[in-house]
Amino acid sequence: MGEGYRFPLRVVDGLRLEKALRDALLPGRTVLDDAGHERKLPRYFYEVPTWTSAMELRLSPSFTLSEFIQTDVREAAPLRSFPRYVPCAITLTALCLERFREAVGTYVHIAANGGYRSPRHALSGSATPHSWGTAVNIYRIGSVYLDDREAIERYAALARQELPGVWTRPYGMHPGETDDHLHLDFGFVIAAPRYAPDDHLGFDADRRVS
Amino acid sequence: MRSPTIPQTLAQTSPVSSRPDEDVIAALHVRLDALERRSGARALAVAVHDTETHRDVRRHADRWFHAASTIKVAILLGVYETIHHGWLLPHSRLHVRNRFFSAVDGAPFRVLADRDGNSEVHAAVGKTMRVTDLALHMIATSSNLATNLLLDLVGLDTVQRSLDALAIEGIDIRRGVEDERAFEQGVNNRVTADGLVHLLRIIAEERAFSPELSREMLAILHAQEFKNGIPARLPATVRVAHKTGDISTIAHDAGVVYPPGRKPYVIAILTEWDPDATGRSATIAEASHAVYEALTEGTVDG
Repeated sequence: MGEGYRFPLRVVDGLRLEKALRDALLPGRTVLDDAGHERKLPRYFYEVPTWTSAMELRLSPSFTLSEFIQTDVREAAPLRSFPRYVPCAITLTALCLERFREAVGTYVHIAANGGYRSPRHALSGSATPHSWGTAVNIYRIGSVYLDDREAIERYAALARQELPGVWTRPYGMHPGETDDHLHLDFGFVIAAPRYAPDDHLGFDADRRVS
Repeated sequence: MRSPTIPQTLAQTSPVSSRPDEDVIAALHVRLDALERRSGARALAVAVHDTETHRDVRRHADRWFHAASTIKVAILLGVYETIHHGWLLPHSRLHVRNRFFSAVDGAPFRVLADRDGNSEVHAAVGKTMRVTDLALHMIATSSNLATNLLLDLVGLDTVQRSLDALAIEGIDIRRGVEDERAFEQGVNNRVTADGLVHLLRIIAEERAFSPELSREMLAILHAQEFKNGIPARLPATVRVAHKTGDISTIAHDAGVVYPPGRKPYVIAILTEWDPDATGRSATIAEASHAVYEALTEGTVDG
């Protein structure tokens, strides 16, 4: 990826999308997390034109974009068809996950609904970093299914060691805990690429890229 | 798994006049009484509606039984109601996750793979599957994981509302499957032979939401892979769309039987047993054969 490389996905201002999409993505809106803290949702998104393009686009050597956007019927209806939209921080998440994959030395599988999901996804509830594109649920590493305490805690410890600042959901069967996946969470990170549309003037991405 | 094909429907079958006389039906009851005594079953209930003659056969048909996997036909109905209303599309995808909550106390539980009749759905944990594929697995191989995923999605209320809207009595859904905590506290799904026949008759007569959706449900029921009950002793030319149900003390089978050259009949055979009893499937097969002989004597082509 030399100087001439340009990331192939268009950056869009969520506030300029059609109403049905805005109502699902809630760009720039403030929502409350579990602790009652206000969190501002992402405003800028990559536009994903097709599922094929998501499968072909590598965000890191081991992960394609498609692995981060696989949702089910619980996702808001306008976001179940293409083009779809994913927060720009997804590229940073992929890099962190690549570092984790190097540490475990084998395949890392992200669960359906376990990458980006919108704030209107039926599982989103209060503010979750999944809606920032900065959390992943991993259900399998290599041939190991993460569905017991030993596996979840072992890989959670490794993640905390390799990824400074990462938060892992504790093992358990109560709300706020997990017993069938490893939840890696990089917090409520918002990314606005240098070639994102201007905040105030609203220029489109193509005019701003030099 | 093979894709189900759209079966012949009631409307498409050619009417052939036949009407079992009272003696034949009385003899059938005698045969079923003898079968119950000889088999050692605690209970044998049979309900039949013959769409050819409009004759009903009812033997303990209003007795309540633990539903076992026959409840999956009601869940199928609930799934197709959501499709009918557009809340789901047939190709909608659903996350396959093996984590459910008990109906009695909300405690999480899983469907154990070695107690399930289907490994394909378990192999998809973490991924997604189409709603209609899950429905097929729920019926054709009686996948408990597919069943709980679908019920979790559409909800108990939707299934019960679907039954109520069609005025179907005799099916009482209270939870998903493999919910041991609910089982221990006596919270179980229940059916009567009358209830299952009523439900299957509505599907067979294409009155469940729309003819197209009814035919899709029938196609799924035709894909049944467990054939040691109702179809086991019927001629090979007889097609059966059905659903079995087996747990430690229960063995059921209910479906629509299509003898060649006549309209089909709808049948439910429900049995209850001691836990160590044998001959459960053979008893259902014999009851099915007795009904077939009584209803089709001298009237079936080939």
